[in-house]
Amino acid sequence: MTVFRMLSCLLYGSVPLNRVAFRFLTAFAVSLTALTGWTARTFGEDDLLALEAQVMKAAVTRAAPSVLRIETFGSQQRAGTPLTNSRITSGVVVSEDGHILSSAFQFAGKPSSILVTLPTGKRESAQIVARDQSRMLVMLKVATAEKLTVLEVVPRAEMRVGQWTLAVGKTFDKDRPNRSVGILSAVNRIWGKAIQTDAKISPANYGGPLIDIEGRALGILVPMSPQQQNEIAGAEWYDSGIGFAVPLADMMPYLEQLKRGEDLKPGILGISLKSGDIYSLPAEIAAVQPKSPAYKVALQVGDVIVDVDKQPVSRQVQLRHALGRRYAGDDVSLTVKRGEQQVTVSLKLVDHLDPYAHPFLGLLPARPRNSNDLGIKIRFVYPNSPAAKIGLNSGDRILAIADKKARVPSDIYSILGSFEPGSEFSLNVVKSGTPENISLIPAALPTQIPDKLPLIPPPEASAEALPPTGLIPVKLPEEPNECVALIPESYKTGILHGLVVWLHPSGQFDQTRLVERWKRRCQQRHLILLMPQAAKQKRWVPTEIDYVRKAIDEIRKAYRIDNTRIVVHGHQAGGVLAYMLAFSQRDLIRGVATVDAEIPRRLKIPANDPIQRLAIYAASDSKSPRAARATSALQRLRDLQYPVTTRQSNGYLSEVQIDELVRWIDTLDRF
Amino acid sequence: MSRRFFVFDARHHPNRCGAANKALWLMLLVFYLCAPSQIPGDDSYARTISGVQPKMVKIYGAGGIRGLEAYQSGLMISRSGHVLTVWSYVLDTEDVVVVLNDGRKFQSQLIGADPRLGIAILKIESTETPYFIRQTSKEPEAGDRILAFSNLYGVATGNEPASVLHGTISARTQLAARRGAFNTTYKGPVFILDAMTNNPGAAGGALTDRQGNLVGLLGKELRNSENEIWLNYAIPMSVLVDSIDDLIAGRTPSQAANTDRKKPGQALSPTLLGFVLIPDVLDKTPAFVDSVRNGSVAARMKLQPDDLILFANDRIASTCKQLVEELSFIDRIDPVTLTIQRGQDLVDITLQLP
Repeated sequence: MTVFRMLSCLLYGSVPLNRVAFRFLTAFAVSLTALTGWTARTFGEDDLLALEAQVMKAAVTRAAPSVLRIETFGSQQRAGTPLTNSRITSGVVVSEDGHILSSAFQFAGKPSSILVTLPTGKRESAQIVARDQSRMLVMLKVATAEKLTVLEVVPRAEMRVGQWTLAVGKTFDKDRPNRSVGILSAVNRIWGKAIQTDAKISPANYGGPLIDIEGRALGILVPMSPQQQNEIAGAEWYDSGIGFAVPLADMMPYLEQLKRGEDLKPGILGISLKSGDIYSLPAEIAAVQPKSPAYKVALQVGDVIVDVDKQPVSRQVQLRHALGRRYAGDDVSLTVKRGEQQVTVSLKLVDHLDPYAHPFLGLLPARPRNSNDLGIKIRFVYPNSPAAKIGLNSGDRILAIADKKARVPSDIYSILGSFEPGSEFSLNVVKSGTPENISLIPAALPTQIPDKLPLIPPPEASAEALPPTGLIPVKLPEEPNECVALIPESYKTGILHGLVVWLHPSGQFDQTRLVERWKRRCQQRHLILLMPQAAKQKRWVPTEIDYVRKAIDEIRKAYRIDNTRIVVHGHQAGGVLAYMLAFSQRDLIRGVATVDAEIPRRLKIPANDPIQRLAIYAASDSKSPRAARATSALQRLRDLQYPVTTRQSNGYLSEVQIDELVRWIDTLDRF
Repeated sequence: MSRRFFVFDARHHPNRCGAANKALWLMLLVFYLCAPSQIPGDDSYARTISGVQPKMVKIYGAGGIRGLEAYQSGLMISRSGHVLTVWSYVLDTEDVVVVLNDGRKFQSQLIGADPRLGIAILKIESTETPYFIRQTSKEPEAGDRILAFSNLYGVATGNEPASVLHGTISARTQLAARRGAFNTTYKGPVFILDAMTNNPGAAGGALTDRQGNLVGLLGKELRNSENEIWLNYAIPMSVLVDSIDDLIAGRTPSQAANTDRKKPGQALSPTLLGFVLIPDVLDKTPAFVDSVRNGSVAARMKLQPDDLILFANDRIASTCKQLVEELSFIDRIDPVTLTIQRGQDLVDITLQLP
């Protein structure tokens, strides 16, 4: 018992706890806990628990001078969540002269005034020096003559899942920290940017430190979400047992940059990977964006990334983990497998790429494709297009582009993903039966819709067993939504069908009329019409994106769908959902067609992607109050180099306009 | 208890702790060899919990409509059948039923209530029920482990024992410290907990220390009205004991615990002090000084147009409404210290009417 008393004295006593003593004590507590069975007999479990609590209190006491209370004033109210309405948050001292790292959460509303309470109790005003736009932190500077205390940082290598963690803030009291106890749940979360704890993390401690049992800093507490990236994303998980902290060890190399006032931004490489399951596919490059860092070091389509900074990468998800934690300006070394060779390149990540525009030759591929065909047979040549100018005609064939063989249309989209309008390349073609090698300068994707587009004749009747046609119900287990699909009577497995997903406006709509309107057109242009419905009161909610995605996947399992012609088409509220689907399901959706719908201002519009193409058709009703707002959002899309086709409508589209829309869908496999 | 799995992995520590640690390990080894071999004792939490459960009760009364649950928690507080619980709509009926831990059911009688503290005392005709001793034992502090007993979500019925949560005291704070943040009549001190006690039916539950001593009463559901964050809290027993004693003895509780500030008869105002704020047109118009009257107290202390007032006597007063409200709590004969942001500087000035 004397040893225990001696240790208690160390904790309670007036002698300051020095580093060695503290470590000794911690190790003692740890050892005792590990031998609980024994200690229960000797000291009693109560003593052990009391000792454990004392060690935790001592850890918080040690960290307390480095946790500062921050008050914000005059924040702009943000729509959506009241979570940011609180006025008080916490921050962690990272330099003796007054630099403080905090979560960007409380600063989302751009407060006009920031006050920091120093350990002496004095309030001083502080400024935001820089922001970390990847991990959502802010660096503050408070002007003070007081020398502040910097926390010791736990190195990554010492973090162990299962270890005690204490989440500390200074929001309830200006002198005494509030704390919550938990364990370290995971060390690599959200693309390697965060560690996870089951301590209760909320606006009461965002910005404060997550510390270990010795009072050393593991990380800065933040809300974070794997799906979204903004200051408040993830805050809806507050106090849930799922909490995140940005490891301070990861931030140390960047502190000087932040102190200099330079923002940190996510690092971009400039490649697209082959689409599909990121958890199983290798990191094979499908496109290299012109002028990007990857392009400058001559990474090539078909290269497979096998190593990032000496960390082996065998699947796409690992590459995302390796690059997710990197910032613009970071040097990265990549090893790629190119055929039998291994090539290593070094490059510097950038913070943005100029918006990418797809090159356009002016052609549509023939459908259906005959598997014995040599190269890509041309169905249609756009008048006045680059292809028309070099004299290509329907029936001619494309064999190779830039010396890369094109066997199926998807080869073409992949090859072209590394070019932009205006960049010259060679074409190997068969023109009127004669092989030729011609040079061509591509244009940009058209926003005009061809007036006339030859229909594709239905394939010959065959005796094959076909899935059901006509109106069929699509019911997903555990989903309350109703959904029907219109399959043309002429459906044959030998011909790929486009898919139009109709998203109804709020309220009732006439399904019989809708089917009448589309029946003939679906037959003519080989389209399947999918009509999912909102689960409640005919009103869509954003979470129904997942449902619609599942419905699309369901129909793709049962019918042969052309992956280049999957279009979401919505009227008013349905159009809003269509935009949400199009921007979030890039691997799937190639066209979005809306009527009288605006793009929600908070919806993040992704950059145009060389491989995951997306075309936009937007009809606005000039009498609608939404028209003006829709126009400015569409300009943003044009600036990002998306092909945007606009029309004026009176209510929903006229019959002539629907015919035109169907032609637009028929051309989405253009190149 | 699951918490045993959460402990540090001792193997990794010797490296970091050097010579001192080696000595420690040696010492432990010696202890271990000398220790008599016995079966380890009961787990301390399990012992505490089995001691507390018989003192907990489930209370059923009014409610059951519009999301208002018709149940809450309570605890035995005397030998003669007194039950402590929160004062709520559940008690708004003649027919309040108390179910003991062993499943016995009793009609209860409302002995009294203290609306300022939000507590009530019921009485049942039972004399053999274990009860909590009303003592002001050592009050826990931030960082201490606690247990919270309640019938949250009405999970327990009949003779099922109350649910137990474990956690830590996050902080001890005053609910009144942030005016307007919490919409409750009780403004006094509270323990903030990192256990999720803020759930329907939990109010009236017991907060105990590891030994099972009653240290607090779980409060009613409460969310911060600014950011709508749910607050997990308990009212310390030290605040409640006098009132409980009074209620059991049939006396009207004294007003000592009332921490509500009262407005004085003649209070301060911007006009009295000699300044004018910018027109209060927005929901939260910042408290910018528009003009200062010549010869006034404010002018003498050099308050300036465009100063942004943030605090009055260290209480938040950064909007026009808040400032006027805060001043209305200060007697005109008392001084007021305004904390002002002037450019990037923070300035304190103290104004007192002559």
